[in-house]
Amino acid sequence: MGFVNDVVPISVTGRSPELDELLTLVARGDETAFERLYDRLIASVFGLIRRVVRDRAQAEEVAQEVMVEVWRTAARFDPARGSAMSWVMTVAHRRAVDRVRSAQAASDREDRVARMGGEVAYDHVAETVTTRLEGERVRRCLDGLTELQRQAVTMAYYGGYSYPEVAGLLKVPLGTVKTRMRDGLVRLRDCMGVER
Amino acid sequence: MNDEIHTLSGAYALNALPLRELGEFEGHLSRCETCTIEVRGLQETTARLGVAVAEAPPRALKSRVMAQIAEVRQEPPLIEEPPGEPEVVVPLRRRSGRWALALAAVSAAAAVSIGVVAVNEIRSRDASIEETRNLLAAPDAVVRKVEMVGGGSATVVASETYGKVMFTSELPALDASKTYQLWTIGGERIRSAGLVDGGGVRTATVDLPAGTDHFGVTVEPAGGSRQPTTEPVMLAKVV
Repeated sequence: MGFVNDVVPISVTGRSPELDELLTLVARGDETAFERLYDRLIASVFGLIRRVVRDRAQAEEVAQEVMVEVWRTAARFDPARGSAMSWVMTVAHRRAVDRVRSAQAASDREDRVARMGGEVAYDHVAETVTTRLEGERVRRCLDGLTELQRQAVTMAYYGGYSYPEVAGLLKVPLGTVKTRMRDGLVRLRDCMGVER
Repeated sequence: MNDEIHTLSGAYALNALPLRELGEFEGHLSRCETCTIEVRGLQETTARLGVAVAEAPPRALKSRVMAQIAEVRQEPPLIEEPPGEPEVVVPLRRRSGRWALALAAVSAAAAVSIGVVAVNEIRSRDASIEETRNLLAAPDAVVRKVEMVGGGSATVVASETYGKVMFTSELPALDASKTYQLWTIGGERIRSAGLVDGGGVRTATVDLPAGTDHFGVTVEPAGGSRQPTTEPVMLAKVV
C-alpha cells in the first residue's frame, strides 16, 4: 500500500470493548478519542465505501462525510444496542449507498453490470479479501453460502443495489431475493460467530 | 409477528430496502423486539463484510477530517422521558384562540397532563434529511401545509407508524428572551417536543408519541415552558 501503514487492522470476530469506549468518549467531545477511533476504523470505512462507490475521489469525499457524521452524532451510539464497529460501518454503508443511488449513478451501474455480468463483482471482492488475514474467515464463510445467497448478499452490500434491483439483475422473484438475503446473512452470522 | 415483513430483516441490514419499504420496516422494528435483536446480529455481520475489504485511504484524509470536526458542533445526547416518572397534571386555562378551539375538538376534558419536558435541540439539517426520507416513505405519512400566524406557512409531516413528526418553516427571529417551542398534543396531553430558535428556515424532526393528534408551535420565554403559555403560532392536525 502506498499510503499509510499506521492503520491497525481490527479483528473480524468478536467485539472490541475498546472501540465502544472510544466512541462513548467521542460523544463527550473528546477529540483525542476520535483520532484513535479514526485510526482504528478508517481503513474499514474507506475500503467499504470504495467498494460500493468505486471512484476513489468520491470514496474519499464520502469517507470524510462519514467520519464527520460519526463525530457529530456519536451521542446516538448506545452500546446496549450494538458494537461501535457495527454502528460506524452502518453509517458508512448508508452514506455509500445514498451516493450510488442517485439517478445518474444508477444508470452508470446498470451499464457496468451489463458489461461485467453478475459473477465479476464477487470475484473482485474475493480477490481483495484474500489479501488480509481477517478477510480469510469472511471469505470462507461466503464460500459456505449457496450461489444465490452469496450473490444476493454481495450485490446488495458491496454493489449497493436494492433488493428489487438484485432480483432484476439475477432474474429471480422478489420474494426469493428477500429470503436469500436473510438466510444468507443468518448463515454468515453463525459462521463468523457473531455475538448476539 | 408478520412473516412477510419479517423476512425483510436481511435486506434491511444490507441497506437494500427501497424507501417505501424502509419506512414500513422501521415502523415495524420499533414494535418488534425479536426483529430488533435479529437485525442487530445481521448488522454486526454486514459490518464484518465491510471490515474484510479494508483499504488504506490517503493520509491527507485524516487531516481534512480532523480540521473539519474542529468546526462541527456535536449533537447533544437525546434525553428520553424516564419511564414511570410521575407526571405533573395541570389544568389548562380556557383560551379563546385557535389553541383552545383545536383542543376542544380533541377533548372535552380541559385537563392537560405534562410529561417531563424533554428539550432537545433540533438536529442539524443533514440528520433531518434521512429522517424525512424515512418519514415520507411511511405508508401512513400525513403531509399538511398550514398557515403560520403572522404570515408564511409551515409544512408538517407525521407518521404514527414511524413515530416521528417533522416540522419545517421559515421562523422569524425572536429576541434573546424568547424561543419557539414545539408541542405534541394527544387527547388530554400536551408534551414539549423541543425548542427551536428563529431567524431562518428551520426543520425539526421529533418523536410523535402514540395517540398524538395535533402538533403545535408557540413562542415561549427562553428556556422553554412546561406547558404552552401563549397562543400557538401554528397548529396542525397530524392524523
